[in-house]
Amino acid sequence: MRSHLTDLIRRDCEEICPSAVTLLQEIKNQKLYITGGTGFVGTWIAELVTCLNDKHGFNTGLVLVARDTDSFRERAPHIASRKDIQLVSADVRRTLEIPDDVSYLLHLAASPDNRQHVSNPIVTMETITGGTGNVLDSASKLASLKKILVASSGQVYGKQGNAKISENMPGTLNSNSITSVYPEAKRYAETLCCAYWSSCKLPVVIARPFSFIGPYQGLDKPWAINNFIRDALMDNPVRIIGNGMPVRSYMYPSDMALWFLRILTSGTAGLAYNVGSPSGISLKDVAEKVMQYFGAAADVIIKNMNDDFSAFVPDDTFCRESLNLSVTVPIDTALRRSLEWYRSLE
Amino acid sequence: MKKVIISDATLRDGSHAISHQLTKAQITKYAQAADKAGLPIVEVGHGNGLGASSLQVGLSLLDDREMLETARASLTRSKLGIHIIPGFATINNDLKFAFDYGVDVVRVASHCTEADITERHISYTREQGREAYGVLMMSHMASREVLLDEGLKMQSYGAEALIIMDSAGAYLPTDVQDRISHLVANLNIPVGFHAHNNLGMGIANSITAVEAGAQIIDGASRGFGAGAGNAQLEVLVAVFEKLGFSTGIDLYKMLDAADIVEKEIMQSTPCVTSVSLVSGLSGVFSGFAKHVSLAAKEYGVDPRDIFFELGRRKVVGGQEDKIVEVALELREKTEARTK
Repeated sequence: MRSHLTDLIRRDCEEICPSAVTLLQEIKNQKLYITGGTGFVGTWIAELVTCLNDKHGFNTGLVLVARDTDSFRERAPHIASRKDIQLVSADVRRTLEIPDDVSYLLHLAASPDNRQHVSNPIVTMETITGGTGNVLDSASKLASLKKILVASSGQVYGKQGNAKISENMPGTLNSNSITSVYPEAKRYAETLCCAYWSSCKLPVVIARPFSFIGPYQGLDKPWAINNFIRDALMDNPVRIIGNGMPVRSYMYPSDMALWFLRILTSGTAGLAYNVGSPSGISLKDVAEKVMQYFGAAADVIIKNMNDDFSAFVPDDTFCRESLNLSVTVPIDTALRRSLEWYRSLE
Repeated sequence: MKKVIISDATLRDGSHAISHQLTKAQITKYAQAADKAGLPIVEVGHGNGLGASSLQVGLSLLDDREMLETARASLTRSKLGIHIIPGFATINNDLKFAFDYGVDVVRVASHCTEADITERHISYTREQGREAYGVLMMSHMASREVLLDEGLKMQSYGAEALIIMDSAGAYLPTDVQDRISHLVANLNIPVGFHAHNNLGMGIANSITAVEAGAQIIDGASRGFGAGAGNAQLEVLVAVFEKLGFSTGIDLYKMLDAADIVEKEIMQSTPCVTSVSLVSGLSGVFSGFAKHVSLAAKEYGVDPRDIFFELGRRKVVGGQEDKIVEVALELREKTEARTK
């Protein structure tokens, strides 16, 4: 990876380090084991932890587990080649050999790509349910384990009203739909966590990630903001099929990495925490900001072919009050930084 | 006033009716007329779509590049659309160059139960900043629940609309109402309908589709298309305006374009022939009509028997080789009875 790109990431991590140093003392001199460790969330956690090691002497070791570690070595050699990073090739659907000295575990393995979910629904469900079962089983045998975080999804809430979504709102999923494959598997995984917590007293916390935008996110995903950025980079008009009124929120990944680690270390076992920005913004406004910041000459085309006034925005009260977490990178800054990143990739 | 987007399949579905022998002059003249009329989308290509020209389904007179280049040069307002079926069309060999020739809308089609083969083509189209529609062909062969399941897949891949095709012209208005209303109620993307006229229901079914919530309707000038033809485009424009739906199309100029098709492109006006009616009744792809007629003549069997047997075997587009197989079997049975 070009040094300019790694510099951008390091700048973001250093910016959040003062908070991280205070909030993440528990991971000092510890070893963390991360399944799905080379994905979007895992990579950002690795960036933040290595920054804490380099700048603040955290001496935290990371074991990044993934099926394909070779591509990560090519994609992020500045992380893969470090002594505080260990890469392990493994499939979470098979038995895992977790080192005895692991004290924290993050189970992040599962693709959030909704195209894969509907094209390979059985594999998707097996990976999430079977994989989570394997990880929880292996974790329950670790003598020195302090906490395990299992990544669920904000999608477990299903369609909600326009209010911000808090952790105690029940889900509204239709289990009998191909689009429920991923969120229903995540719901099952959450309940499995509850079962291990209850039966084995496994110290497990759940994180429910919402939407993110920033470096390392692939623009091939068919999500609205990714499409907007991709079209803007190509000077194509941004098309919105509906009325542009759906409200979403976007968290910058340096905040995301800190939130995940804080929930891991300080979240209460047995509970679930939202990970996402509470600042809602309409798709129309996001599209216009993207075009503005990206300097794209093309238009935002609102097709008005549906009346969608839905909202999908997390309530951050629980994380803010119980874990002292907040969003430090507002949407405008997130978009500008994303622009810098994607332009540098070109 | 509610809007309906009309997608013009004349220079694509019409290719079936003339064994894919469209000339450059025909494409130029019709595309210019359609553009003047304000057609939102003008599809061009082999009847089975990009990359389909072959001995199996028929060789085109012009190759894909020539057709796209010719049409692009004639369209200023209308979007240039193509129909592609993964398997016929590959991303590297076909879709990439189509974008070089200025294609705006890619209608990625699969059999009604096989949407998962469209993932890469839809994704690639979106990655290039072009519009991608998902198309489910032979939709009468699936229940509304199956169509929704497949439509949700296409929506997840990034399709910006879902079109269901009545490829065999087998629907009655109640079938259309049932399926379209279910899709409209459960998808986040606009729903469209593509009629064939085998049972004389092309216009009626298109009206039913719009009344059930469809926002995109396919048609062809003078009904120039496979089998008994498509929903007649100029009639659609007139009827929708009379019903209070806006199409944005100039009726007089649309009629001029339709006249061009009648006088300079089509060899015969599509109508509900005995063969096409049987195609609709048996639920067999309208594009099989010419192949069935040829096989019937060559092997001395009744084309209606071929259609009903193909329908019984649930044969779909791409299985044209089954036509000869069925014709031979029917001849053998007839000969055995005679002996």
